[in-house]
Amino acid sequence: MNKDIVPKALLASVLLGLVLWGGLPLRRHRHFDVPIIKGPGVTEVRRLSEFSPGLAGTAGDTNVYVLQGREPGGKALLMGNTHSNEPEGMLTALIVIERGVVEKGTLFVIPFFNNSGSRNTRPGDGYPLYFDVATDWGARRFRYGNRDASPLDQWPDPDVYIHYPDRQLLSYIDVRNTNRTWPGRAAGPLMERVTFGAMELMRREKIDLAVDIHGAETMFPVTNCIVAPESSVKIATLASLTVKAMEGFESHVEPSPSGFRGLSHREIGDHGPSLPFLLEAPIPFLDQPTGPKTVQFLLDGKDPFLLSLAKKKKLFVPYDESGWPLEKRVGQNLSVTLELFRQFSKKTADRAIAVRGVPRYADVVKNGVGHFLADPSKAPAGAVVMN
Amino acid sequence: MIMIAYYVITAVLLVLAAWNFIREKDNRQDLILYLLVIVPLILRLLRWK
Repeated sequence: MNKDIVPKALLASVLLGLVLWGGLPLRRHRHFDVPIIKGPGVTEVRRLSEFSPGLAGTAGDTNVYVLQGREPGGKALLMGNTHSNEPEGMLTALIVIERGVVEKGTLFVIPFFNNSGSRNTRPGDGYPLYFDVATDWGARRFRYGNRDASPLDQWPDPDVYIHYPDRQLLSYIDVRNTNRTWPGRAAGPLMERVTFGAMELMRREKIDLAVDIHGAETMFPVTNCIVAPESSVKIATLASLTVKAMEGFESHVEPSPSGFRGLSHREIGDHGPSLPFLLEAPIPFLDQPTGPKTVQFLLDGKDPFLLSLAKKKKLFVPYDESGWPLEKRVGQNLSVTLELFRQFSKKTADRAIAVRGVPRYADVVKNGVGHFLADPSKAPAGAVVMN
Repeated sequence: MIMIAYYVITAVLLVLAAWNFIREKDNRQDLILYLLVIVPLILRLLRWK
């Protein structure tokens, strides 16, 4: 018997143990489903693969919640978790699904737009796998994902991502970034099939407004803003001025650059009927020079290093000891979204969109995000949809 | 086509690393490195998610 076999087998066993120790939590995270309760306004739950058949049976497929109003009107699409490490978008969408009632028009809401990304993580950055939002009845647990889709679902990456259809050269990683793969194509890489599905939804349903909800670093200049192309800029400006005057928070307007391709705020308007808006709320957790990436930091946005940088005027948003908590981020997303609907409805009365039951900035800051989340254990039978 | 090529490359690298692991006699550091290299190749080849 070869004398090497025993130590080599031992070594391989130790490594296998380490792989299981590290890998099983990641596997559990990947297969952890989040319950969403169909609120009083939800009339239908569809799948994105209805619009992009190439998504069927893949991790790119995701739920589309439809809230059809009693009266006809305009139509809007809300997307959260385009980047799954920016959870304020997903929570904004969730509150609309669980609380919103549409009086006029129709809402289409996709809370986990990049479903694969929400089942991915960034272990090198020490990301937590989950975060809990405190509610009036306990805590509600969510997956904390990554910016990009999982390489388990879309692989291999190219050396350079050649954007379709403009052929602009983008970073290789952007082939898994659903805010670089717009407008997508039916038989492209998985994330192009995701954005193609959303484009088809907008084209077939004649969506008027498309709101893509994100979070951005405090050290990144495009933060705390509404990004809008030429076609959307008037409505965005009116919404920005109104929330500043009426609700007391800043969300300025940034123009969508026409030379930078693949982004929702550019391609949606160029390839479909909808007016695109991309909302950015500041999320200190994403900044690089911070302390540990803990769940508490994700929720309250408080960090001593960012505070020090703020005193040196290195941040693009006001920042003090109160941090930038989840309540502010979700609250301003909700208020800006509702204000975009209102301004659009004022301009286009025959395509009005009226929603009630959705809290605004002051309500969310005062009561917390969890106050507006439903309890899955008390939901009626058939009302809970796993995501 | 590219995907098939990548899987073939993965399989070839896996065989090479496994063969070197079996043949290595003395250097324990190399043994560990071969094992570390093998792990993602096996996972990818088996498509274990």
